[in-house]
Amino acid sequence: MAHPSQLGFQDAASPVMEELLHFHDHALMIVFLISTLVLYIIVAMVSTKLTNKYILDSQEIEIIWTVLPAVILILIALPSLRILYLMDEINDPHLTIKAMGHQWYWSYEYTDYEDLGFDSYMIPTQDLAPGQFRLLEADHRMVVPVESPIRILISAEDVLHSWAVPALGIKMDAVPGRLNQTAFITSRPGVFYGQCSEICGANHSFMPIVVEAVPLEHFESWSSLMLEDA
Amino acid sequence: MLRLIAARGGRLLARPPGAALTPVCSRAASHGEGEASTAVDMSRPLYWNRLDTPLPDRPFKDVLNEEDTALKQKEKGPWGQLTKEEKIAIYRLAFQRTYPEMKQSTGEWKTVVGGIFIFMGLTGLVVIWQSYYVYPPQPRTFAEDWQARQLQRMLDMRVNPIEGFSAKWDYEKGQWK
Repeated sequence: MAHPSQLGFQDAASPVMEELLHFHDHALMIVFLISTLVLYIIVAMVSTKLTNKYILDSQEIEIIWTVLPAVILILIALPSLRILYLMDEINDPHLTIKAMGHQWYWSYEYTDYEDLGFDSYMIPTQDLAPGQFRLLEADHRMVVPVESPIRILISAEDVLHSWAVPALGIKMDAVPGRLNQTAFITSRPGVFYGQCSEICGANHSFMPIVVEAVPLEHFESWSSLMLEDA
Repeated sequence: MLRLIAARGGRLLARPPGAALTPVCSRAASHGEGEASTAVDMSRPLYWNRLDTPLPDRPFKDVLNEEDTALKQKEKGPWGQLTKEEKIAIYRLAFQRTYPEMKQSTGEWKTVVGGIFIFMGLTGLVVIWQSYYVYPPQPRTFAEDWQARQLQRMLDMRVNPIEGFSAKWDYEKGQWK
């Protein structure tokens, strides 16, 4: 989750998110360079004492400020496309989970081996235990084994929703009548929070996503427990 | 010429001829650039006071009285024979303001900054009023003890342990790094 007054990204919990962080650093550096250059030029233009400022012919600088932006765009596009294709790689998932968006909760189905399904509602503010996070906690978390490739199929039962977990670098729309697939690997154990990211009605802000990455044995005992409870 | 065009277009435009001419035409052309903004006829040479374009299209005073005409005649002769006052008068015929006069600060910035502060103050008053009369009570998670427990829970859960939140906590010593 984000810590108070956080400005940047959350620490990456998946390799893809790490790549996105580095790409963001790269693109932001370019943006800062361009902005500084433009700001400098603006200040120089405004504060000049020169009166002859209206030259109309300048082949060299025209070439420079056409070629240089093209080069910069290529420098941004190449890492970007690399990550795009990285995200689509075949990764042979160990587990497939279905996340279905409803108004206004998520439901998760683990149907690879047994028929496990449960709903995940936000814990209302008045029901929180002291120290829990307001608007982020859910009654049932989506538990996954750590360091295992997981495939997640996302859809919706009524209106558009979007399944997003920033720490894992995932956001995928939940479209009714459509199955969207994405995959992730959690690099470290922990609890990762997200919120519905597509307006879906009155309680759109109150249907969070909680992913808990645990060692495989713990995942097995959790899923057995959930099956017994069902 | 303009009158002719206006007359031909008059029937099409259903306007009397001469209406295409702006009102300024009929005034004396030598009023130059007034301090207040006036309607300007852009189809005739303009006068301006600009630091970056020093030479306007026409002199400031182009309707000259007898005294000015005599002066301009004298200017055609050797300039060494002009007195200092005459030279200044010739300059003032051509230009309304000198460079130092153009560069003079107007003190406009004081009005602007003052206006900004006034509106910021008014906004502050509105914000204070609304925080008292409009906002609902704060959720209970903002209470100090809740925030403290929340913080401890975040550290226990190792939230952002690499570079973010928990990375700044020294777990061995039990204090911030």
